[in-house]
Amino acid sequence: MNPKAILSAVTLAAIVAVCPGFAWSQEFKPSKQIEAVVHTGPGGGSDLLARAIAEMLLKEKLIQQRMQVVNKPGGGPAVAMSYLAEKKGETHTIGFFTGVWVTNPLTTAEANVTVKDLTPIVRLVLEPAVIAVKADSPYKTVKDFVEAAKKSPNQLRQSGGSVTSRDNLMRLLIQKATGAQWTFISFPSGGERLSNLLGGHVQMMVIEPQEAGEQIRAGNLRVIASLTEKRLAALPNVPTIKEQGIDIPLIPQARGVLAPPAVPRDVVQYWEGVFDRFAKSSSWHQYLEQNQFEDGYLKGPPLGKFFDELTVQMREVLKEAGAKVVR
Amino acid sequence: MDALGNLLLGFSVALTPINLFWCFTGVVLGTVVGVLPGLGPAATIAMLLPLTLKMDHTTAIIALAGIFYGARYGGSTTSILLNIPGESSSVVTCLDGYQMARNGRAGPALGISAIASFVAGTVGVLGLMLIAPPLARFALRFAPPEYFALMVLGLAMVVFLAGESMVKAMLAMFVGLWLATIGTDLFTGESRFTFGQAKLLGGVDFIAATVGVFAIAEVLVNLESKGGAELFKLAKGWKNLLPTLQDIKDCRFAFLNGSVIGFFIGALPGAGATVASFLSYGLEKAVSKHPEKFGTGVIEGVAAPEGANNADASGALVPLLTLGIPGGNTTAILLGGLILWGYKPGPLLIQEHPELFWGLVASMYIGNVMLLILNLPLVPLFAQILRLPYYVLYPLILGISIVGVYSVNNSLFDVWVMGLFGLLGFLMRKLDFPAAALILGMVLGDGLERALRQSLMMSQGDLTILFARPISGTLLFVAAAILVLPAVRKVRSWRVAAIEREG
Repeated sequence: MNPKAILSAVTLAAIVAVCPGFAWSQEFKPSKQIEAVVHTGPGGGSDLLARAIAEMLLKEKLIQQRMQVVNKPGGGPAVAMSYLAEKKGETHTIGFFTGVWVTNPLTTAEANVTVKDLTPIVRLVLEPAVIAVKADSPYKTVKDFVEAAKKSPNQLRQSGGSVTSRDNLMRLLIQKATGAQWTFISFPSGGERLSNLLGGHVQMMVIEPQEAGEQIRAGNLRVIASLTEKRLAALPNVPTIKEQGIDIPLIPQARGVLAPPAVPRDVVQYWEGVFDRFAKSSSWHQYLEQNQFEDGYLKGPPLGKFFDELTVQMREVLKEAGAKVVR
Repeated sequence: MDALGNLLLGFSVALTPINLFWCFTGVVLGTVVGVLPGLGPAATIAMLLPLTLKMDHTTAIIALAGIFYGARYGGSTTSILLNIPGESSSVVTCLDGYQMARNGRAGPALGISAIASFVAGTVGVLGLMLIAPPLARFALRFAPPEYFALMVLGLAMVVFLAGESMVKAMLAMFVGLWLATIGTDLFTGESRFTFGQAKLLGGVDFIAATVGVFAIAEVLVNLESKGGAELFKLAKGWKNLLPTLQDIKDCRFAFLNGSVIGFFIGALPGAGATVASFLSYGLEKAVSKHPEKFGTGVIEGVAAPEGANNADASGALVPLLTLGIPGGNTTAILLGGLILWGYKPGPLLIQEHPELFWGLVASMYIGNVMLLILNLPLVPLFAQILRLPYYVLYPLILGISIVGVYSVNNSLFDVWVMGLFGLLGFLMRKLDFPAAALILGMVLGDGLERALRQSLMMSQGDLTILFARPISGTLLFVAAAILVLPAVRKVRSWRVAAIEREG
């Protein structure tokens, strides 16, 4: 070995010794734009949440690279999930999940990716829901509605999303608990669900309090129960469904962040760190309040357990509802 | 309500330099996004939403709405010049617009689409200003049976898309309806015709299919006619690059038709601009003195759908601003924006924030004038593209198509779908099947099936729900008349011919 080579080797060693964060560091930091995958088109719930979070992360200086939201709609969440699965080990991609990421693979044979295949990072939001009827409707409580539904089975109607959505699962659970029967009509967009309720074409809807809020204030809608453990701060006079004597398991609509399969440990730690600080930030708390979301912060092993338990619960509910459960 | 006073308030908001600037920026961006196939206004607005957080909120909505309706101006450009629909709502513009370009009238086609967009845009704003709340209440009367009837009426437009053979048009339409069933069934969550392919769970991408059957098929057809060197005639001189006074006179009814249909369909949360443009094209042909010329490059055939898809943009703001109900992707993002800016979009929005609503309305008047001034001088410029020799033009069409289709979902699979539909479109052209009928089926199939099944769920399987309601009954009757009349006419002409033969 010539002297020059020795010299450069020594210099290199010195640099490494002096700057521990140089080349061999275990600490991950994004070096390029981050890709955030959502399963809805622009304007969907996940899309809006992801874009808002991307903006807040930058504003709170929690990330230095831009986060680009990538829409992968199709087959409920199936297209987005298989896209994430293809990105195995990719360090600059994350995805935004919701409850349907758990339910959809249970009923869809083609959806060959489940949340178990992906790397959980954090749960951020629990979306509460309420039961709303038109303001001039005769139903003042859930009991009123249930009694009416018992009297004329399948004559009353509820508008909602897909059959595996929380709206429909809540209906199935209430039907099972009370013996009442009514019809569930799927509409792909939230706008159509709400306008069919306002137009009087359906009699009831499971809706997020934020979406219902203005309609209540304008005197168009009445909320007859909240589907939460405790009464909602924004609707203190509305009793929970349990207070009204209907004891059903409440299905949370959870939202949060996942990474592709087989992502290095340090990447997971990086994101956990980022979202740990994010969950405490003032922008995030303001956002939660604006949208009347519950803080659903959860990470690590408890998050894995949450997914497992939700999967088991959903499988039960779907089976009881007569849906074809494939896994 | 004192509309005039409010409008004055609106103009005092919209005419501030900063709002004028952002209105201009919005409509320019919208035009660009509209011209480029693929990247649509929804994705653009979503991307720009974070930037608006620091803006004044009225300024922000003025800018974003500018992108929304500006895109409808730009969408016609590639439809007319290259047979590539720039947005899904400008599919219908291809039918006569591209033929006009082939006949050397690209300039007038582009010009009339700018003028029709301007007229309809302005009528739409008038509607938004004067009848938004009552129209929104009327739109609430549309339940699944009414949507079903509307979709059937849309399908009846196949009569106006047929060439020589009605049977071929119907066949193409039914294939389109079938293609629309591919993907996940909303009601049961089961997958249909996906052959185990996760990528098909979301259905066949509409943009990919349309660009395939229109643009790619066109390239293939032209490649086959070897050495067909002269593609386009292009009139010399600036004067011939703009519509004549006679052209504008010919389009008087088309302007009105497009404006009214577009605005009304826009106000329905479950319909969409593509439906509006098909309907107004059908109506235009139905009342025309020379219906046989449609599809060969008549100027009304461009003005009507272009007007409709523009008025639809104003219509879509009706349920959003009066009820807080978004009708489509783009309005859903605007709704998200309003929440992000701290508003509570709902029935009380206009009352509590008049400056927002009226500022937006006034800015839309200004924006439409800006778009007209912006788009007319671009006409001669864009028309120059057709001077390119075919060995440059075809690769260009292919390139734009591939990039555009890829960029919708960043999916290479969609590019393959486009290629496949290109072959299908080529075969259809060879066998004289109208591609537009296939697309009509694809556009309406989803909504038709959904509305039918929702209606039957409402009625517990009783079909009379479709006919017994006044609005749906009327629409279905009109649709039946449209379908039956040509047949009656045909039978009569046979009888006349037979009587003549018998002497």
